[in-house]
Amino acid sequence: MIRQFGWNEFELLVFAARWTIVLAIIAFVGGGIGGLVVALLRTAGSRVARTAMIVFIRVFQGTPLLMQLFLAYFGMAIVGVNVNPLIAAMIALTAHASAYLGEIWRGCIEAVPHGQTEAARALGLHYFARMRYVVLPQAARIAVPPTVGFLVQLVKETSLTSIIGFVELTRQGQIITSVTFRPFAVFGLVAAIYFLMCWPLSLVARGMERGFARATRR
Amino acid sequence: MNKLKKVVAIFLGLGVILGTGTMTANADALQDIQSRGTIKVGMLVDFPPYGLMNAQNQPDGYDADVAHLLAQDLNVKLQLVPVTGPNRIPYLLSGQIDVLVASLGITQERARSVAFSEPYAAITIGVYGKDDVRITKPEDLAGKTIAVARASTQDTAVTKVAPRSATIRRFDSDAAALQALMSGQVPLVGCSNVCFATIQNLAPGKYNKKFELSSQVQGIAVKPGEEKLLARINQFIDKVKANGELDKINRKWLGEAMPAVLRKK
Repeated sequence: MIRQFGWNEFELLVFAARWTIVLAIIAFVGGGIGGLVVALLRTAGSRVARTAMIVFIRVFQGTPLLMQLFLAYFGMAIVGVNVNPLIAAMIALTAHASAYLGEIWRGCIEAVPHGQTEAARALGLHYFARMRYVVLPQAARIAVPPTVGFLVQLVKETSLTSIIGFVELTRQGQIITSVTFRPFAVFGLVAAIYFLMCWPLSLVARGMERGFARATRR
Repeated sequence: MNKLKKVVAIFLGLGVILGTGTMTANADALQDIQSRGTIKVGMLVDFPPYGLMNAQNQPDGYDADVAHLLAQDLNVKLQLVPVTGPNRIPYLLSGQIDVLVASLGITQERARSVAFSEPYAAITIGVYGKDDVRITKPEDLAGKTIAVARASTQDTAVTKVAPRSATIRRFDSDAAALQALMSGQVPLVGCSNVCFATIQNLAPGKYNKKFELSSQVQGIAVKPGEEKLLARINQFIDKVKANGELDKINRKWLGEAMPAVLRKK
């Protein structure tokens, strides 16, 4: 029953990392779109939309992701809607990431001096053009560090999806540890693989910051 | 892990309340399984030798073998669903799986939320040791040294029955206690049959069981109210106990005969 920790186990871990990557991409894309909508509604929408967004953010920031995943999968099955685990993960991760990114980006949009919006208005730019050419580019520059910080965290949070049956990197590490009895080797490797996924994100962030700095240099 | 358990416990409660609606609406899981032609069985994959992932990354172990026999007996295809300790009962109650063959120890608390079959497996705690140590009962421990994992069930059990002159050496874990046995520091160890299977694997034939201290039986679980399915499963368990197939599985995964506690009705 006890297996050696060898090449086969190494491959299984690397293979399990594909779920971590897939889930992280789902969360990035879903959260990116959702977050932008939340941030825009929160800064400019009607009173009703603003209040709805505040409620959305409070609920999803104030409850654990683990529970959101749990409800999206088991909760929906109990009320009679049988969802596949990938859809459940998609719903929970997107809602979770949207709430956080929405709030981060709202701060960035509000940090752009109000004079910029006024000047754009004076030039006769409509809401869409004002956001697209004046406000968002400036907000994006400030948004890079907190956004990347959150995304790196999100990569690691995908491990929570094991509650609804995903065998991603961390879970595979636990399963392999249970037969090899080599926790240090296994989890050391798991940590190294996470690092290899998160480090490029930090590099991209640094590149983007440099690009923005060059673009705004006088 | 604690936080996780709490969250799960809360929603489990919620699940039971909400779940009763869907359960009564669809009360014949056995018929569902037969018309579907597939039985969905939840099992642990991180609890060797009962449940594990083998080198081919497929669910394997004692539970997997029992599940295969069950599917064969019902004449349906088997779909194994890997579950974890904290989410196995939610999987069952929310209907994602039909039955749990997941080393679920039969306890009163659990019997309130799921329906248990007759026991199909048992984790026994006993005293094991080198072949040449001749003891058969707790009194024989007098003057001997025995290793246990500190504050474990086996620690409590050994401490209760051992005579005063016995020396109990307490280690931080089962692994450390077994290490002490294998390196010859102690001649005896108090541990579960699961741990003992590990030593049998590492050093076959050098150690054997001396006597049993206590046992915890495990059952196959179904949703409460699934009487027909449960009756069918009990019929299956009686059959494999009688025809020796369960004994074979015990020998294969635990290195010893089916425990006596499973024989009695």
